[in-house]
Amino acid sequence: MASAEIRITAEPVDNTRCKFVVSQPVYAGIRRFQSPDEAKGSPLAEAIFGIAGADITEVVVSSNIVTVSKQGPAPWTAVGRSIGAAIRNSIGAAADAVAPKPARQDAPDGEDLDDDVLYERVAQLFESRVNPMVARHGGSVELIDVQDRVVMLRMGGGCQGCGMADVTLRQGIEAMLHEHLPGVAGIVDVTDHSAGSNPYFSAAKK
Amino acid sequence: MTLSVASERPSTFEQAQPSGLLTLDFSDPERAATQAQRFAREYPLNGVLGVDDDTVVVAAAIAERLGLRGNTVMAALRARDKYEQRVGLERAGVRVPRFAVHPVSVAPAQLGPTIRYPAVLKPLRLAASRGVIRANGPEEFVAAWERIRAILSGPDIVPCGEAGQRILVEDFVPGPEVAVDGLLRRGLLQVLAIFDKPDPLEGPFFEETIYVTPSRLPREVQNHVERAVQAATRALGLAEGAVHVELRCNRAGVWLIELAARPIGGRCSSALRFELQGKREEGRGKGKATLEEILIRHAMGETLPAFRREAQGSGVMMIPVPAKGVLREVRGLEEARAVPLVSGVEITAHKGDRLVPWPEGARYPGFIFARGAEPEAVEAALRAAHARLDFILE
Repeated sequence: MASAEIRITAEPVDNTRCKFVVSQPVYAGIRRFQSPDEAKGSPLAEAIFGIAGADITEVVVSSNIVTVSKQGPAPWTAVGRSIGAAIRNSIGAAADAVAPKPARQDAPDGEDLDDDVLYERVAQLFESRVNPMVARHGGSVELIDVQDRVVMLRMGGGCQGCGMADVTLRQGIEAMLHEHLPGVAGIVDVTDHSAGSNPYFSAAKK
Repeated sequence: MTLSVASERPSTFEQAQPSGLLTLDFSDPERAATQAQRFAREYPLNGVLGVDDDTVVVAAAIAERLGLRGNTVMAALRARDKYEQRVGLERAGVRVPRFAVHPVSVAPAQLGPTIRYPAVLKPLRLAASRGVIRANGPEEFVAAWERIRAILSGPDIVPCGEAGQRILVEDFVPGPEVAVDGLLRRGLLQVLAIFDKPDPLEGPFFEETIYVTPSRLPREVQNHVERAVQAATRALGLAEGAVHVELRCNRAGVWLIELAARPIGGRCSSALRFELQGKREEGRGKGKATLEEILIRHAMGETLPAFRREAQGSGVMMIPVPAKGVLREVRGLEEARAVPLVSGVEITAHKGDRLVPWPEGARYPGFIFARGAEPEAVEAALRAAHARLDFILE
Protein backbone atom coordinates (compact mmCIF):
# COMPACT_ATOMS: atom_id res chain seq x y z
CA MET A 1 0.00 0.00 0.00
CA ALA A 2 1.37 3.43 -0.91
CA SER A 3 2.00 5.64 2.11
CA ALA A 4 -0.47 8.21 0.75
CA GLU A 5 -3.27 5.61 1.08
CA ILE A 6 -2.59 4.99 4.74
CA ARG A 7 -5.19 6.78 6.83
CA ILE A 8 -4.31 7.80 10.37
CA THR A 9 -6.77 9.19 12.90
CA ALA A 10 -5.53 10.93 16.04
CA GLU A 11 -7.59 10.38 19.20
CA PRO A 12 -6.18 12.40 22.10
CA VAL A 13 -6.77 10.82 25.50
CA ASP A 14 -5.50 13.87 27.38
CA ASN A 15 -2.72 16.39 26.91
CA THR A 16 -0.05 13.77 27.60
CA ARG A 17 -1.34 10.79 25.66
CA CYS A 18 -2.77 10.30 22.18
CA LYS A 19 -3.82 7.26 20.18
CA PHE A 20 -3.15 7.13 16.46
CA VAL A 21 -5.41 4.63 14.72
CA VAL A 22 -3.86 3.44 11.46
CA SER A 23 -5.94 2.02 8.61
CA GLN A 24 -3.68 -1.07 8.39
CA PRO A 25 -1.90 -3.31 10.90
CA VAL A 26 1.42 -1.92 12.05
CA TYR A 27 2.70 -4.72 14.25
CA ALA A 28 1.42 -8.19 15.15
CA GLY A 29 1.38 -8.12 18.96
CA ILE A 30 2.54 -5.28 21.16
CA ARG A 31 5.82 -3.39 21.54
CA ARG A 32 6.52 -0.66 24.01
CA PHE A 33 9.37 1.84 23.76
CA GLN A 34 10.16 4.06 26.72
CA SER A 35 13.31 5.78 25.46
CA PRO A 36 15.13 6.56 22.20
CA ASP A 37 17.58 3.77 23.07
CA GLU A 38 14.82 1.19 23.26
CA ALA A 39 13.51 2.48 19.93
CA LYS A 40 16.72 1.70 18.07
CA GLY A 41 16.09 -0.74 15.23
CA SER A 42 12.39 0.16 15.00
CA PRO A 43 12.13 3.02 12.47
CA LEU A 44 8.61 4.03 13.50
CA ALA A 45 9.50 4.50 17.16
CA GLU A 46 12.87 6.08 16.30
CA ALA A 47 11.14 8.65 14.11
CA ILE A 48 8.56 9.53 16.76
CA PHE A 49 11.17 9.92 19.50
CA GLY A 50 13.11 12.11 17.07
CA ILE A 51 10.39 14.74 16.66
CA ALA A 52 11.93 17.98 17.86
CA GLY A 53 10.25 19.71 20.81
CA ALA A 54 7.65 17.01 21.40
CA ASP A 55 9.47 15.50 24.39
CA ILE A 56 8.13 12.01 23.71
CA THR A 57 8.21 9.67 26.70
CA GLU A 58 6.64 6.47 25.37
CA VAL A 59 5.47 4.82 22.18
CA VAL A 60 3.27 1.72 22.33
CA VAL A 61 2.48 -0.12 19.11
CA SER A 62 -0.29 -2.68 19.17
CA SER A 63 -1.87 -4.03 16.00
CA ASN A 64 -3.08 -0.91 14.14
CA ILE A 65 -2.83 1.46 17.12
CA VAL A 66 0.16 3.61 18.03
CA THR A 67 -0.18 5.24 21.46
CA VAL A 68 2.20 8.11 22.07
CA SER A 69 2.89 9.81 25.42
CA LYS A 70 4.69 13.13 25.73
CA GLN A 71 5.76 15.61 28.38
CA GLY A 72 6.05 18.65 26.15
CA PRO A 73 3.41 21.40 26.43
CA ALA A 74 2.69 21.52 22.67
CA PRO A 75 -0.90 20.45 21.97
CA TRP A 76 -1.60 17.30 19.96
CA THR A 77 -2.93 19.46 17.15
CA ALA A 78 0.65 20.75 16.72
CA VAL A 79 2.55 17.49 17.29
CA GLY A 80 0.08 15.09 15.73
CA ARG A 81 0.88 15.92 12.13
CA SER A 82 4.60 15.09 12.63
CA ILE A 83 3.72 11.84 14.37
CA GLY A 84 1.31 10.92 11.57
CA ALA A 85 4.04 11.56 9.00
CA ALA A 86 6.51 9.46 11.00
CA ILE A 87 4.07 6.55 11.14
CA ARG A 88 3.16 6.85 7.46
CA ASN A 89 6.76 7.06 6.27
CA SER A 90 7.99 4.15 8.32
CA ILE A 91 5.11 1.89 7.28
CA GLY A 92 5.65 2.82 3.64
CA ALA A 93 9.37 1.96 3.78
CA ALA A 94 10.70 -1.45 2.81
CA ALA A 95 12.06 -2.39 6.26
CA ASP A 96 9.82 -3.45 9.15
CA ALA A 97 8.44 -0.36 10.89
CA VAL A 98 8.73 -2.14 14.23
CA ALA A 99 11.37 -4.74 14.95
CA PRO A 100 10.30 -8.03 16.57
CA LYS A 101 10.36 -8.04 20.32
CA PRO A 102 13.57 -9.36 21.88
CA ALA A 103 13.29 -12.70 23.67
CA ARG A 104 12.43 -12.21 27.32
CA GLN A 105 12.86 -14.24 30.47
CA ASP A 106 9.70 -15.19 32.33
CA ALA A 107 9.25 -14.05 35.89
CA PRO A 108 10.94 -16.51 38.25
CA ASP A 109 7.76 -17.48 40.06
CA GLY A 110 6.06 -18.30 36.80
CA GLU A 111 3.63 -15.43 37.16
CA ASP A 112 3.75 -13.27 34.09
CA LEU A 113 4.00 -9.65 35.19
CA ASP A 114 5.09 -8.09 31.90
CA ASP A 115 2.93 -5.11 30.94
CA ASP A 116 3.09 -5.98 27.26
CA VAL A 117 1.84 -9.49 27.80
CA LEU A 118 -0.89 -8.17 30.07
CA TYR A 119 -1.80 -5.60 27.42
CA GLU A 120 -2.32 -8.34 24.84
CA ARG A 121 -4.42 -10.43 27.19
CA VAL A 122 -6.50 -7.49 28.35
CA ALA A 123 -7.06 -6.44 24.74
CA GLN A 124 -8.20 -9.96 23.95
CA LEU A 125 -10.56 -10.02 26.94
CA PHE A 126 -12.00 -6.65 25.97
CA GLU A 127 -12.61 -7.86 22.44
CA SER A 128 -14.03 -11.25 23.30
CA ARG A 129 -16.00 -10.55 26.51
CA VAL A 130 -16.20 -6.95 27.63
CA ASN A 131 -17.13 -5.14 24.44
CA PRO A 132 -19.87 -7.59 23.39
CA MET A 133 -21.48 -6.98 26.80
CA VAL A 134 -21.34 -3.19 26.88
CA ALA A 135 -22.42 -3.11 23.22
CA ARG A 136 -25.89 -4.18 24.40
CA HIS A 137 -26.25 -0.68 25.83
CA GLY A 138 -24.53 0.94 22.86
CA GLY A 139 -21.26 1.24 24.77
CA SER A 140 -17.64 0.46 24.05
CA VAL A 141 -14.47 0.09 26.10
CA GLU A 142 -11.10 0.83 24.63
CA LEU A 143 -7.79 -0.27 26.10
CA ILE A 144 -5.43 2.70 26.30
CA ASP A 145 -2.43 1.16 28.01
CA VAL A 146 -1.14 -1.13 30.74
CA GLN A 147 1.52 0.37 32.98
CA ASP A 148 2.90 -1.32 36.07
CA ARG A 149 0.05 -3.82 35.68
CA VAL A 150 -2.53 -1.03 35.93
CA VAL A 151 -5.01 -1.03 33.07
CA MET A 152 -5.96 2.33 31.57
CA LEU A 153 -9.15 2.35 29.58
CA ARG A 154 -11.56 4.73 27.96
CA MET A 155 -15.31 4.27 27.69
CA GLY A 156 -17.33 5.35 24.69
CA GLY A 157 -20.85 5.36 23.26
CA GLY A 158 -23.55 4.57 25.80
CA CYS A 159 -20.92 4.12 28.55
CA GLN A 160 -19.45 7.62 28.21
CA GLY A 161 -21.17 9.81 30.78
CA CYS A 162 -23.54 7.01 31.81
CA GLY A 163 -24.87 7.30 35.37
CA MET A 164 -23.92 3.63 35.86
CA ALA A 165 -20.44 3.88 34.30
CA ASP A 166 -18.72 3.47 37.64
CA VAL A 167 -20.73 0.34 38.41
CA THR A 168 -19.89 -1.07 34.98
CA LEU A 169 -16.25 -0.24 35.62
CA ARG A 170 -15.93 -1.65 39.12
CA GLN A 171 -18.55 -4.41 39.30
CA GLY A 172 -18.25 -5.49 35.67
CA ILE A 173 -14.93 -4.79 33.99
CA GLU A 174 -12.66 -4.78 37.04
CA ALA A 175 -14.27 -7.90 38.48
CA MET A 176 -13.88 -9.66 35.15
CA LEU A 177 -10.23 -8.62 34.84
CA HIS A 178 -9.44 -9.89 38.33
CA GLU A 179 -11.21 -13.15 37.57
CA HIS A 180 -9.47 -13.82 34.25
CA LEU A 181 -6.19 -11.95 34.70
CA PRO A 182 -5.16 -11.95 38.36
CA GLY A 183 -1.92 -10.17 37.41
CA VAL A 184 -3.83 -6.93 36.86
CA ALA A 185 -3.12 -4.60 39.79
CA GLY A 186 -5.72 -1.95 39.13
CA ILE A 187 -7.84 -0.11 36.67
CA VAL A 188 -7.98 3.58 35.72
CA ASP A 189 -10.76 5.14 33.70
CA VAL A 190 -9.42 8.05 31.60
CA THR A 191 -12.78 8.78 29.97
CA ASP A 192 -13.97 12.36 29.73
CA HIS A 193 -17.46 11.49 30.91
CA SER A 194 -18.63 15.09 30.63
CA ALA A 195 -18.17 14.82 26.86
CA GLY A 196 -20.52 11.83 26.58
CA SER A 197 -23.32 12.81 24.25
CA ASN A 198 -25.45 9.68 24.38
CA PRO A 199 -25.19 8.02 27.80
CA TYR A 200 -27.36 4.94 28.35
CA PHE A 201 -28.46 6.07 31.81
CA SER A 202 -28.52 9.77 32.59
CA ALA A 203 -26.28 10.97 35.42
CA ALA A 204 -27.57 11.33 38.97
CA LYS A 205 -29.36 14.54 39.95
CA LYS A 206 -26.65 15.72 42.30
CA MET B 1 -15.65 -6.98 51.71
CA THR B 2 -17.59 -7.83 48.58
CA LEU B 3 -19.98 -5.28 47.18
CA SER B 4 -23.15 -6.14 45.30
CA VAL B 5 -24.81 -3.26 43.48
CA ALA B 6 -28.53 -3.28 42.74
CA SER B 7 -30.23 -1.14 40.14
CA GLU B 8 -33.71 -1.03 38.67
CA ARG B 9 -32.48 -1.83 35.18
CA PRO B 10 -30.13 -4.72 34.47
CA SER B 11 -26.43 -4.21 33.96
CA THR B 12 -24.97 -5.84 30.86
CA PHE B 13 -22.52 -7.61 33.18
CA GLU B 14 -25.15 -9.13 35.45
CA GLN B 15 -24.91 -12.62 34.00
CA ALA B 16 -21.12 -12.56 33.93
CA GLN B 17 -20.81 -11.20 37.48
CA PRO B 18 -23.90 -12.57 39.25
CA SER B 19 -22.55 -11.95 42.76
CA GLY B 20 -21.76 -8.30 42.12
CA LEU B 21 -24.81 -7.08 40.26
CA LEU B 22 -28.54 -7.60 40.63
CA THR B 23 -31.73 -6.02 39.37
CA LEU B 24 -34.47 -5.05 41.83
CA ASP B 25 -37.90 -3.55 41.32
CA PHE B 26 -37.42 -0.24 43.10
CA SER B 27 -41.05 0.70 42.50
CA ASP B 28 -42.22 -2.15 44.75
CA PRO B 29 -40.10 -2.45 47.93
CA GLU B 30 -41.69 -5.73 49.05
CA ARG B 31 -41.09 -7.32 45.66
CA ALA B 32 -37.52 -5.99 45.75
CA ALA B 33 -37.11 -7.61 49.18
CA THR B 34 -38.23 -10.94 47.75
CA GLN B 35 -35.77 -10.58 44.88
CA ALA B 36 -32.99 -9.71 47.33
CA GLN B 37 -33.93 -12.66 49.54
CA ARG B 38 -33.56 -14.98 46.55
CA PHE B 39 -30.19 -13.41 45.74
CA ALA B 40 -29.03 -13.75 49.34
CA ARG B 41 -29.63 -17.51 49.32
CA GLU B 42 -26.74 -17.83 46.90
CA TYR B 43 -24.72 -14.76 47.85
CA PRO B 44 -25.32 -14.00 51.55
CA LEU B 45 -25.78 -10.33 52.41
CA ASN B 46 -24.46 -8.75 55.61
CA GLY B 47 -25.77 -5.25 55.08
CA VAL B 48 -27.89 -3.12 52.81
CA LEU B 49 -27.78 0.60 52.03
CA GLY B 50 -30.09 2.84 50.03
CA VAL B 51 -28.60 5.90 48.43
CA ASP B 52 -31.59 8.07 47.52
CA ASP B 53 -35.13 8.79 48.63
CA ASP B 54 -36.64 5.77 46.91
CA THR B 55 -33.95 3.20 47.56
CA VAL B 56 -33.83 3.89 51.29
CA VAL B 57 -37.35 2.44 51.44
CA VAL B 58 -36.24 -0.56 49.36
CA ALA B 59 -33.22 -0.99 51.66
CA ALA B 60 -35.49 -0.88 54.71
CA ALA B 61 -37.70 -3.59 53.21
CA ILE B 62 -34.68 -5.78 52.48
CA ALA B 63 -33.22 -5.18 55.94
CA GLU B 64 -36.51 -6.14 57.58
CA ARG B 65 -36.84 -9.28 55.46
CA LEU B 66 -33.26 -10.46 55.98
CA GLY B 67 -32.89 -9.33 59.58
CA LEU B 68 -30.16 -6.82 58.76
CA ARG B 69 -29.39 -3.51 60.43
CA GLY B 70 -31.69 -0.80 59.13
CA ASN B 71 -34.82 1.25 59.58
CA THR B 72 -38.33 -0.15 59.52
CA VAL B 73 -40.21 0.26 56.25
CA MET B 74 -42.82 2.30 58.11
CA ALA B 75 -40.21 4.80 59.31
CA ALA B 76 -38.56 5.03 55.91
CA LEU B 77 -41.92 5.64 54.22
CA ARG B 78 -42.87 8.28 56.78
CA ALA B 79 -39.60 10.10 56.20
CA ARG B 80 -39.95 10.00 52.41
CA ASP B 81 -43.37 11.65 52.23
CA LYS B 82 -43.18 15.35 53.11
CA TYR B 83 -46.74 15.42 54.45
CA GLU B 84 -46.51 12.24 56.54
CA GLN B 85 -43.19 13.48 57.83
CA ARG B 86 -44.66 16.77 59.01
CA VAL B 87 -47.63 15.06 60.63
CA GLY B 88 -45.25 12.84 62.59
CA LEU B 89 -42.98 15.70 63.56
CA GLU B 90 -45.79 18.03 64.65
CA ARG B 91 -47.37 15.28 66.72
CA ALA B 92 -44.07 14.80 68.55
CA GLY B 93 -43.68 18.50 69.22
CA VAL B 94 -40.89 19.15 66.72
CA ARG B 95 -41.12 22.72 65.42
CA VAL B 96 -42.22 22.62 61.76
CA PRO B 97 -43.83 25.33 59.62
CA ARG B 98 -47.65 25.39 59.69
CA PHE B 99 -48.68 23.12 56.81
CA ALA B 100 -51.59 21.67 54.87
CA VAL B 101 -51.86 19.41 51.86
CA HIS B 102 -54.25 19.83 48.93
CA PRO B 103 -55.10 17.77 45.85
CA VAL B 104 -53.48 19.21 42.74
CA SER B 105 -56.93 19.27 41.14
CA VAL B 106 -58.12 22.04 43.50
CA ALA B 107 -58.76 25.46 41.92
CA PRO B 108 -55.83 27.57 43.19
CA ALA B 109 -57.77 30.83 42.73
CA GLN B 110 -60.23 29.65 45.41
CA LEU B 111 -57.54 28.30 47.69
CA GLY B 112 -55.16 31.28 47.37
CA PRO B 113 -57.11 33.77 49.50
CA THR B 114 -57.27 31.29 52.40
CA ILE B 115 -53.49 30.90 52.67
CA ARG B 116 -51.20 32.74 55.12
CA TYR B 117 -48.35 34.51 53.28
CA PRO B 118 -45.52 34.27 52.55
CA ALA B 119 -46.08 30.59 51.84
CA VAL B 120 -44.05 27.82 50.22
CA LEU B 121 -45.61 25.30 47.86
CA LYS B 122 -43.97 21.88 47.56
CA PRO B 123 -44.60 18.65 45.70
CA LEU B 124 -44.66 15.77 48.18
CA ARG B 125 -41.98 13.53 46.72
CA LEU B 126 -39.58 15.41 44.45
CA ALA B 127 -35.91 15.76 45.36
CA ALA B 128 -33.42 18.64 45.26
CA SER B 129 -36.10 21.31 45.87
CA ARG B 130 -37.60 20.62 42.45
CA GLY B 131 -40.97 22.33 42.21
CA VAL B 132 -40.57 24.21 45.50
CA ILE B 133 -41.86 27.78 45.05
CA ARG B 134 -42.47 30.69 47.40
CA ALA B 135 -45.63 32.76 46.99
CA ASN B 136 -46.11 36.16 48.64
CA GLY B 137 -49.77 36.57 47.80
CA PRO B 138 -52.76 34.98 46.05
CA GLU B 139 -51.60 35.88 42.54
CA GLU B 140 -48.18 34.36 43.04
CA PHE B 141 -49.89 31.39 44.70
CA VAL B 142 -51.95 30.68 41.59
CA ALA B 143 -48.90 31.03 39.33
CA ALA B 144 -46.84 28.74 41.56
CA TRP B 145 -49.65 26.18 41.74
CA GLU B 146 -49.97 26.02 37.96
CA ARG B 147 -46.23 25.67 37.57
CA ILE B 148 -46.12 22.76 40.02
CA ARG B 149 -49.18 21.20 38.36
CA ALA B 150 -47.25 21.23 35.06
CA ILE B 151 -44.22 19.64 36.70
CA LEU B 152 -46.37 16.94 38.30
CA SER B 153 -47.96 16.09 34.96
CA GLY B 154 -44.53 15.15 33.56
CA PRO B 155 -43.83 11.52 32.61
CA ASP B 156 -41.19 11.09 35.33
CA ILE B 157 -43.74 11.76 38.09
CA VAL B 158 -45.83 8.63 37.48
CA PRO B 159 -43.80 6.44 39.88
CA CYS B 160 -44.72 8.83 42.70
CA GLY B 161 -48.33 7.63 42.45
CA GLU B 162 -50.79 9.40 44.72
CA ALA B 163 -48.02 11.50 46.27
CA GLY B 164 -47.55 13.08 42.87
CA GLN B 165 -51.13 14.32 42.90
CA ARG B 166 -50.95 16.52 45.99
CA ILE B 167 -49.25 19.78 46.88
CA LEU B 168 -48.01 20.77 50.30
CA VAL B 169 -48.47 24.40 51.33
CA GLU B 170 -46.61 25.66 54.37
CA ASP B 171 -45.51 28.91 55.99
CA PHE B 172 -42.28 30.42 54.75
CA VAL B 173 -39.84 30.43 57.66
CA PRO B 174 -37.31 33.27 57.56
CA GLY B 175 -33.77 32.89 58.86
CA PRO B 176 -30.47 31.27 57.97
CA GLU B 177 -30.62 27.65 56.84
CA VAL B 178 -28.28 24.83 57.78
CA ALA B 179 -27.96 21.25 56.64
CA VAL B 180 -27.07 18.48 59.06
CA ASP B 181 -25.64 15.12 58.16
CA GLY B 182 -25.83 12.54 60.88
CA LEU B 183 -25.52 8.86 61.65
CA LEU B 184 -28.08 7.03 63.72
CA ARG B 185 -27.06 4.04 65.80
CA ARG B 186 -29.84 2.35 67.74
CA GLY B 187 -31.70 5.62 67.53
CA LEU B 188 -28.88 7.77 68.90
CA LEU B 189 -27.70 10.56 66.67
CA GLN B 190 -24.08 11.40 65.97
CA VAL B 191 -23.84 14.66 64.08
CA LEU B 192 -21.27 14.23 61.31
CA ALA B 193 -21.39 17.81 60.06
CA ILE B 194 -23.44 20.97 60.29
CA PHE B 195 -23.20 22.87 57.02
CA ASP B 196 -23.94 26.58 56.80
CA LYS B 197 -25.71 27.72 53.65
CA PRO B 198 -24.33 31.24 53.32
CA ASP B 199 -26.44 32.20 50.30
CA PRO B 200 -29.85 33.21 51.64
CA LEU B 201 -32.60 30.90 50.42
CA GLU B 202 -35.43 33.41 50.23
CA GLY B 203 -37.13 32.12 47.09
CA PRO B 204 -39.03 32.27 44.88
CA PHE B 205 -37.08 29.08 44.08
CA PHE B 206 -34.77 27.12 46.34
CA GLU B 207 -31.82 25.92 44.31
CA GLU B 208 -28.93 25.08 46.65
CA THR B 209 -25.52 26.70 46.21
CA ILE B 210 -22.84 26.66 48.90
CA TYR B 211 -22.47 24.29 51.85
CA VAL B 212 -19.62 25.04 54.29
CA THR B 213 -18.64 23.25 57.47
CA PRO B 214 -17.91 23.74 60.33
CA SER B 215 -20.87 25.97 60.99
CA ARG B 216 -20.24 29.55 62.08
CA LEU B 217 -23.47 29.63 64.08
CA PRO B 218 -23.02 30.14 67.84
CA ARG B 219 -22.38 26.86 69.67
CA GLU B 220 -25.62 27.27 71.56
CA VAL B 221 -27.63 27.45 68.33
CA GLN B 222 -25.77 24.43 66.99
CA ASN B 223 -26.77 22.54 70.14
CA HIS B 224 -30.41 23.45 69.48
CA VAL B 225 -30.01 22.21 65.90
CA GLU B 226 -28.59 18.89 67.09
CA ARG B 227 -31.41 18.43 69.59
CA ALA B 228 -34.01 19.21 66.92
CA VAL B 229 -32.55 16.57 64.58
CA GLN B 230 -32.46 13.97 67.33
CA ALA B 231 -36.07 14.72 68.27
CA ALA B 232 -37.14 14.52 64.64
CA THR B 233 -35.51 11.16 63.98
CA ARG B 234 -37.13 9.77 67.13
CA ALA B 235 -40.50 11.16 66.09
CA LEU B 236 -40.30 9.38 62.76
CA GLY B 237 -39.01 6.12 64.24
CA LEU B 238 -35.69 6.25 62.40
CA ALA B 239 -33.03 4.27 64.22
CA GLU B 240 -30.14 3.35 61.91
CA GLY B 241 -28.01 4.88 59.20
CA ALA B 242 -27.65 8.26 57.56
CA VAL B 243 -29.90 11.27 57.88
CA HIS B 244 -29.71 14.52 55.96
CA VAL B 245 -31.74 17.31 57.52
CA GLU B 246 -32.40 20.94 56.62
CA LEU B 247 -33.33 23.42 59.32
CA ARG B 248 -33.85 27.14 59.72
CA CYS B 249 -32.92 29.17 62.75
CA ASN B 250 -34.62 32.37 63.90
CA ARG B 251 -35.76 34.08 67.10
CA ALA B 252 -38.59 31.60 67.58
CA GLY B 253 -36.09 28.73 67.56
CA VAL B 254 -34.98 25.96 65.25
CA TRP B 255 -37.41 24.85 62.54
CA LEU B 256 -37.18 21.54 60.79
CA ILE B 257 -37.70 22.13 57.06
CA GLU B 258 -36.83 18.77 55.49
CA LEU B 259 -35.53 15.42 56.65
CA ALA B 260 -34.31 12.52 54.53
CA ALA B 261 -33.23 9.09 55.79
CA ARG B 262 -30.23 9.04 53.46
CA PRO B 263 -26.81 10.63 53.18
CA ILE B 264 -26.15 14.01 51.58
CA GLY B 265 -26.83 13.84 47.84
CA GLY B 266 -24.37 12.31 45.41
CA ARG B 267 -21.04 14.01 44.96
CA CYS B 268 -21.51 16.45 47.85
CA SER B 269 -20.39 13.68 50.19
CA SER B 270 -16.85 14.27 48.92
CA ALA B 271 -16.84 17.36 51.14
CA LEU B 272 -16.81 15.08 54.17
CA ARG B 273 -13.77 13.17 55.44
CA PHE B 274 -13.41 11.55 58.81
CA GLU B 275 -10.67 10.60 61.22
CA LEU B 276 -11.14 7.31 63.02
CA GLN B 277 -9.44 6.58 66.30
CA GLY B 278 -7.78 3.36 67.39
CA LYS B 279 -4.61 1.50 66.42
CA ARG B 280 -6.43 -0.85 64.10
CA GLU B 281 -7.75 2.13 62.19
CA GLU B 282 -4.33 3.76 61.88
CA GLY B 283 -3.16 0.79 59.85
CA ARG B 284 -6.30 0.83 57.79
CA GLY B 285 -6.32 3.80 55.42
CA LYS B 286 -4.22 5.77 57.95
CA GLY B 287 -7.31 6.26 60.09
CA LYS B 288 -9.10 8.29 57.40
CA ALA B 289 -12.50 7.40 56.05
CA THR B 290 -15.07 8.71 53.62
CA LEU B 291 -18.74 9.07 54.47
CA GLU B 292 -19.47 6.05 52.29
CA GLU B 293 -17.01 3.89 54.24
CA ILE B 294 -18.56 4.92 57.55
CA LEU B 295 -22.06 4.16 56.30
CA ILE B 296 -21.16 0.82 54.73
CA ARG B 297 -19.31 -0.36 57.82
CA HIS B 298 -22.27 0.63 59.98
CA ALA B 299 -24.75 -1.10 57.67
CA MET B 300 -22.61 -4.26 57.77
CA GLY B 301 -23.23 -4.46 61.49
CA GLU B 302 -19.74 -3.34 62.48
CA THR B 303 -19.19 -1.50 65.74
CA LEU B 304 -17.47 1.65 64.58
CA PRO B 305 -14.63 3.16 66.58
CA ALA B 306 -14.86 6.77 67.74
CA PHE B 307 -14.57 9.12 64.79
CA ARG B 308 -15.08 12.74 63.89
CA ARG B 309 -14.98 14.96 60.85
CA GLU B 310 -11.50 16.23 59.95
CA ALA B 311 -10.46 19.42 61.75
CA GLN B 312 -10.20 21.75 58.75
CA GLY B 313 -13.02 23.56 57.02
CA SER B 314 -14.61 22.06 53.95
CA GLY B 315 -17.21 23.16 51.47
CA VAL B 316 -19.00 22.37 48.27
CA MET B 317 -20.78 24.59 45.80
CA MET B 318 -23.56 23.05 43.76
CA ILE B 319 -23.00 25.12 40.65
CA PRO B 320 -26.19 27.02 39.81
CA VAL B 321 -27.80 26.47 36.43
CA PRO B 322 -26.73 29.64 34.60
CA ALA B 323 -29.72 29.74 32.24
CA LYS B 324 -32.00 27.49 30.23
CA GLY B 325 -30.25 26.04 27.21
CA VAL B 326 -28.12 23.31 25.70
CA LEU B 327 -24.61 23.09 27.15
CA ARG B 328 -21.93 23.52 24.53
CA GLU B 329 -18.80 24.26 26.52
CA VAL B 330 -17.49 25.14 29.95
CA ARG B 331 -14.62 27.61 29.95
CA GLY B 332 -12.29 28.57 32.76
CA LEU B 333 -11.99 25.11 34.32
CA GLU B 334 -8.24 25.24 34.76
CA GLU B 335 -8.44 28.75 36.21
CA ALA B 336 -11.15 27.62 38.64
CA ARG B 337 -9.09 24.59 39.70
CA ALA B 338 -6.08 26.84 40.26
CA VAL B 339 -7.85 28.95 42.89
CA PRO B 340 -6.09 28.40 46.25
CA LEU B 341 -7.94 25.98 48.58
CA VAL B 342 -10.03 24.59 45.72
CA SER B 343 -9.64 20.82 45.77
CA GLY B 344 -11.80 19.94 42.81
CA VAL B 345 -14.12 21.19 40.11
CA GLU B 346 -16.35 18.55 38.54
CA ILE B 347 -18.63 19.30 35.65
CA THR B 348 -21.27 16.59 35.66
CA ALA B 349 -23.45 17.96 32.87
CA HIS B 350 -22.48 16.71 29.43
CA LYS B 351 -22.01 18.71 26.30
CA GLY B 352 -25.37 18.63 24.58
CA ASP B 353 -27.30 18.33 27.85
CA ARG B 354 -30.29 20.61 28.26
CA LEU B 355 -29.84 22.66 31.42
CA VAL B 356 -33.10 23.44 33.14
CA PRO B 357 -33.22 26.07 35.92
CA TRP B 358 -35.26 25.58 39.07
CA PRO B 359 -38.09 24.99 39.83
CA GLU B 360 -38.57 22.70 36.81
CA GLY B 361 -34.96 21.52 36.92
CA ALA B 362 -33.29 19.49 39.63
CA ARG B 363 -29.81 18.82 38.31
CA TYR B 364 -26.74 20.92 38.99
CA PRO B 365 -24.28 21.20 36.10
CA GLY B 366 -21.35 20.55 38.40
CA PHE B 367 -19.66 20.91 41.77
CA ILE B 368 -16.77 22.85 43.26
CA PHE B 369 -14.96 21.59 46.35
CA ALA B 370 -12.62 23.48 48.67
CA ARG B 371 -10.78 22.82 51.91
CA GLY B 372 -8.98 25.19 54.27
CA ALA B 373 -8.35 26.08 57.86
CA GLU B 374 -11.27 28.52 58.14
CA PRO B 375 -14.78 28.24 56.74
CA GLU B 376 -14.68 31.89 55.61
CA ALA B 377 -11.69 31.16 53.39
CA VAL B 378 -13.35 28.03 52.04
CA GLU B 379 -16.47 29.98 51.12
CA ALA B 380 -14.40 32.68 49.43
CA ALA B 381 -12.50 30.07 47.43
CA LEU B 382 -15.72 28.48 46.22
CA ARG B 383 -17.05 31.85 45.07
CA ALA B 384 -13.75 32.77 43.39
CA ALA B 385 -13.64 29.48 41.50
CA HIS B 386 -17.24 29.82 40.40
CA ALA B 387 -16.56 33.33 39.10
CA ARG B 388 -13.93 31.88 36.77
CA LEU B 389 -16.33 29.44 35.12
CA ASP B 390 -18.18 30.38 31.98
CA PHE B 391 -20.96 28.10 30.73
CA ILE B 392 -21.57 28.44 27.00
CA LEU B 393 -25.18 27.54 26.22
CA GLU B 394 -27.13 27.46 23.00
